[in-house]
Amino acid sequence: MIFRAVEDADLISRVRRGDVEAYNHLVSRWEKRVFNYLLRITASTEDALDLSQDAFLKAYQNIRKLDDPARFGPWLFRIAHNEAYSLFRKRRPETAIEDVASARNPAPGFPIDLSLAVTAALDRLNPEQREAVVLKVYEGFKFDEMAEVLGCPVSTVKSRLYTALDLLKTELAPLNAGSVPRGN
Amino acid sequence: MLSTDSAFPSSSCSQLESVRDYAFDELPAAERSPLERHIAVCGDCAAELDRLRLTTAALRTLPDLEVPRRIAFVSDKVFEPSPLWKFWNAGAHWNFASACVLAAALVVSSWHFVSAARPAETRTVVRTAAVSQNQMNQDQINSAVAKAVAQIRREDAQLTKAAIEASEKKHDRDYRNQMVAIEESFMVLQKRLNNSYSRVALSEAASSGAAQ
Repeated sequence: MIFRAVEDADLISRVRRGDVEAYNHLVSRWEKRVFNYLLRITASTEDALDLSQDAFLKAYQNIRKLDDPARFGPWLFRIAHNEAYSLFRKRRPETAIEDVASARNPAPGFPIDLSLAVTAALDRLNPEQREAVVLKVYEGFKFDEMAEVLGCPVSTVKSRLYTALDLLKTELAPLNAGSVPRGN
Repeated sequence: MLSTDSAFPSSSCSQLESVRDYAFDELPAAERSPLERHIAVCGDCAAELDRLRLTTAALRTLPDLEVPRRIAFVSDKVFEPSPLWKFWNAGAHWNFASACVLAAALVVSSWHFVSAARPAETRTVVRTAAVSQNQMNQDQINSAVAKAVAQIRREDAQLTKAAIEASEKKHDRDYRNQMVAIEESFMVLQKRLNNSYSRVALSEAASSGAAQ
């Protein structure tokens, strides 16, 4: 992560000097993470793609406003988060945020029962809890970075995450007893 | 939505929060060893750590998916800077700044040289007049002085003209750069508008399909 931050900072300084190719490198490094984050909170491939596009465009237009290039990751995810919630607000009359989970498909390439159980357990969390789990477990952000992405205090982030994990522990208990290898 | 009732009895140990932070590698380094010693003797905390690790491992069985198509906008032609803009950002602005500094230095030094040389020439003329006082009359002296003054004025005029031309060139370059920046901003705006129109069209098509 340290090397990534250093290289990101170098790429960002090149982007600020007008080097478009440097921004293409940045997109290549981050697009998969941003896309999967958006996919997990929107449950729609098309929405996740469109929102990724919008987030990277907005980041490009505002890159001079980024105070600390070493914090590019949380800053970019904050933009992606805002884009996603802007879309949710626009669709609220038709689609409640909670309903997006019903469209989610289990991940391909994994045992269907495990994949379905984990997907279903995640879907039964509320959106804020689900996003906290996604940012921590899947994206590996630190609490202070999550607070930056979500725009709330660290205490709130921890509360959402630990409440979600208490619920997931119960949901996934039968799996934990059998099919998941133990370890860190 | 999940119920908040847990199948596991909540631990009464006061270290539970620290155990959770420890599980996610968020505990300060100084607190890790004491907590590890505590976990070794506290059954509740050991069980909590075990459950958190198992739950996290189960969650991580869901893999990241590949992006179905590339995020392409930065490479789109519409976002490509103009050749002039690329040239300007490739270091030309530093060259231009250096040239400006050099030109300013030349103008200042020339002016200084001319100012310093003027009395010397006058002195030469006066000295010459003094030496050949008997041969030269006052008209000749006046003529020589007028000639020297005219020469200095011509040089001043040339320097002023060069400075004005340099200033006009700089103004032209600044204007071109501003136009390039405006053009690029307009293209970005156009791209966003196109995206918005596409979305509106899609949503209208979807809603009309649903109505049918």
